[in-house]
Amino acid sequence: MANTKVIAVGVAAVILIVAVIAYASSYMSDFDNVQRSSQDEGQTIALTDVPVLGSKNAGVTIVEIGDYQCPACKLWFDNTRQDIIENYIETGKANLVFIDMPFIGADSVSAAEATYCANDQGMYWEYHTTLYQLQQHENDGWANIDRLTAIAFNLGLDTEQFNECMISKKYFSQISFNKQKASTDFAANSTPTFIIVNTSGTAERLIGPHPYSTFEKVLGSLL
Amino acid sequence: MNNTFETVYSNYTYILIAIGIFFLLFFPLITISEFLFFEPFIVFSIYPETTLSFLLIVILSFFSALAVSMNIYRVKLIKKTKKIGSSIIGTIIGASAGACSCGPIAFSIITTFGTAGSIASSFLNVYEIPIRLTSIGILGVVIFVTTKSLSRECKINL
Repeated sequence: MANTKVIAVGVAAVILIVAVIAYASSYMSDFDNVQRSSQDEGQTIALTDVPVLGSKNAGVTIVEIGDYQCPACKLWFDNTRQDIIENYIETGKANLVFIDMPFIGADSVSAAEATYCANDQGMYWEYHTTLYQLQQHENDGWANIDRLTAIAFNLGLDTEQFNECMISKKYFSQISFNKQKASTDFAANSTPTFIIVNTSGTAERLIGPHPYSTFEKVLGSLL
Repeated sequence: MNNTFETVYSNYTYILIAIGIFFLLFFPLITISEFLFFEPFIVFSIYPETTLSFLLIVILSFFSALAVSMNIYRVKLIKKTKKIGSSIIGTIIGASAGACSCGPIAFSIITTFGTAGSIASSFLNVYEIPIRLTSIGILGVVIFVTTKSLSRECKINL
């Protein structure tokens, strides 16, 4: 009986250690991807199809890969983004683009589509900002179609045009393309992931909701 | 209770075991929960919204270190493994919570298991704090019972 327990405990301990090692290995492989990506990101980034926040002629582009239901993205939005906007985007040093990688649930896809429907009426970034401000728990319905329409209404969008856009799934393929681009071209496997690239193609990748100090150092080295 | 702690940790081996277990849990947990980043350089960051989560990780790691090291002592002393299973279960439950739902682990789970993975990941994320508190509770009970049991068994052995 005692031996059985020892074996059970041993097995549990081994599983725990293997899980830690497996995670560490996957984490380290991310670093390899970073180095690989850094070499060719200059060629793969094409920012023609996505809304840009800031000057298109800025020296550095920050590509944010995110999901509107992702709590870590909200953490970054609430704590870091505003400082970057004030110090780098409003000063014309950098610009920001958002690439959707909606994977948390169906509402993530709808929310991403809604931002592009808002973009039809020139309100992409306002809608984007509102979504992160209103974010609640994942898949609890805060970003269902009715709520998305209500957000559009509150932002003063033409809700008839917005609804038509949502119902017709006008931007479904755009969102699928963004998702595909995020996972293949940018090798993103979590959100938020940031690719920061300058005009000469030198790129740096940040994974996770890094604080402002990290962006300050990276942007300083790329500008 | 104090006597029991003194008895166990008067042997430096158990202090080292406890420190080892603490860091074995603490570093992976703060990395998974995105408090610690290794790229592009080492960055440690706590946002106001995540302070509680960080404190729970510290408590969980500390309790796990105490529970497991005391149980190793107990196993060596009386060759019984009654409580160590519970402390490992408590540790695993606590460790499973709070891996960010949009982090690489959850991404792998969701892309592999689809909707079911998404629900599981959301559950672990939404109930991160209650799960960690439950786990700390389990470990607290394990430490209490182990301490009681050690003080009783040590007296008998004396």
